[in-house]
Amino acid sequence: MAKVFIVAEHRQGAIRDATYELVTLARELESKFALEPAAVVIGHGVRPFAEVLSRHVNETIMVENEALADFRYETYAAVLRDIIMKETPLVVLCPQSAFGMELFPRLSAETGRPCATDCVQVEMDGPSLVVVRSIYNGKINSRLAFASSGGYLITVRAGSYAPAAEADKAGTIRDYPCPAFGEPFKTEFLGYREAAAGTVDISQAPFLLSIGRGIKDTENIPKAEELAAKLGAVLSCSRPVVDKKWLGKERQVGTSGRTVKPKLYLAMGISGAFQHLAGIKGSGTFIAVNRDPKAPIFRAADYGVVEDMFKIMDALKEQIGT
Amino acid sequence: MEILVCVKKVPDTADAEVILRPDGKGIKEDDLAFGINEWDNYAVEEAIRIKEAHGGRVTVVTIGVSDSEDVLRRCLAMGADDAIMIDGGPFAGSDPYGIARGLRGIAAARAYDLVLAGAQAGDDGFGMVGPVLAGYLGWSHATLVTSVSVEDGKVAVTRELEGGLEERLRLALPAVLTVQTGINEPRYVSIMGIRKVRSKEIPVLDLAKVGLAAGSVGENANVLRRIALSVPPAGKEAEMIKGTPAEIARKILDIVRERGGVG
Repeated sequence: MAKVFIVAEHRQGAIRDATYELVTLARELESKFALEPAAVVIGHGVRPFAEVLSRHVNETIMVENEALADFRYETYAAVLRDIIMKETPLVVLCPQSAFGMELFPRLSAETGRPCATDCVQVEMDGPSLVVVRSIYNGKINSRLAFASSGGYLITVRAGSYAPAAEADKAGTIRDYPCPAFGEPFKTEFLGYREAAAGTVDISQAPFLLSIGRGIKDTENIPKAEELAAKLGAVLSCSRPVVDKKWLGKERQVGTSGRTVKPKLYLAMGISGAFQHLAGIKGSGTFIAVNRDPKAPIFRAADYGVVEDMFKIMDALKEQIGT
Repeated sequence: MEILVCVKKVPDTADAEVILRPDGKGIKEDDLAFGINEWDNYAVEEAIRIKEAHGGRVTVVTIGVSDSEDVLRRCLAMGADDAIMIDGGPFAGSDPYGIARGLRGIAAARAYDLVLAGAQAGDDGFGMVGPVLAGYLGWSHATLVTSVSVEDGKVAVTRELEGGLEERLRLALPAVLTVQTGINEPRYVSIMGIRKVRSKEIPVLDLAKVGLAAGSVGENANVLRRIALSVPPAGKEAEMIKGTPAEIARKILDIVRERGGVG
């Protein structure tokens, strides 16, 4: 029976949520295409993680070693290379995250097994593996088939599959010997750093006015600040505004910034990249203003306005003023 | 520091409507503005800053046809010393492996200390070329890099993780770094600046010059084969608020008040 492996992602003592989304996908590949799911847990002190995963799948391969305490592609790829060569899974899944993006393309080059990153859908079409990727800022889906290979590497976009609920399987944990590393290492992990420290905590605000690329210029930031003050909202933003240093990182909503759940989210000039939308999941009422009627943000918002954001900002200020 | 920066010309689709071609194999490009991939622009700026601090040379390379020349000239105007064009004809439709193979020939031929590239491209967004290239070369790599500082024979970087967290790493050189947006503030390029570099020679290298055989790249050599493009299913659609800006503003304020907001 062909196997599908899930590479568990964990950081700072916790399994990351995206791992459970892969469990759902692996189960789907099991029920539809008869692939046999197994989990792979690599790290130091990871037995508790292996135990959690063994409740989801029949077999969990655990590689436990001090050198694996902090993630580095160098050691993790060496371990996975060894596992892939010996266990020959047909499909290996990993989250599309800072972890997966660092690890899987490299692993692909080192093993010769083809990789498709950032997939939103994975299925078999006869003997071949087919994936769907979201491209051009989420405006187009691209369906790709792999050339035939002994195995495939896939990273999956967060939110593409629902996370698996708690399970109570009595799966086995297999202690897998850690392969020898080709020292000296070329990479060294030095530590973590909080990049988004600041005085504002947007995650606590009940009402966020959020601005994106549509704000166009740093000169327009005071207009947004003024409107936020009038509305009684806290000002937040999407990535491009932080990239341009117009607002601080602590105000960024999204995967790499803050996750927020306000009662009210008013987004202006934000197109709705999935990283941004992932940061407002579970929010209350969501109103989006954008000039592009096809902007992905309208697929997530409750209310949409197709209009120039500055016109709406001016009109809002006027209405509140009177 | 000898630095190679890999750049690509892409359509700007962040703020534009993207329309499928009738054959479903591509998008209509006529109405789209093309320019340097946003991530690559940050990579070029970072390379120039490293050169300014530590000396050395910055070479930019693209795999493209003559209409990508303006992107290379823009990089030269920013401060890159040299530009190389790998003839993109044979690479038409290449997957990230084909592109990485093309770049490997350049990176391996000269003694570069660093290869910089964008963490991903705004068109197909694989984010694979950098780390695959590093794997081919056997060099160290880091993706999603948000800062670079050069040390003796090594480079210390931060990588962007999730939730406002970063990690710090030290890598042995030579290394491939893929740069995340926001790492720096790319300098402004004036028309005057571009004029100054308009006569700079840009060599065009064919497949043989990058050590590849005919047919080893391009659509037919792909391991990732595009079957079809489609418009994503609509799913849940927002309830659209229509009217004049004043009418729309009134309706937005109604919703705000309903949710307990100030108005």
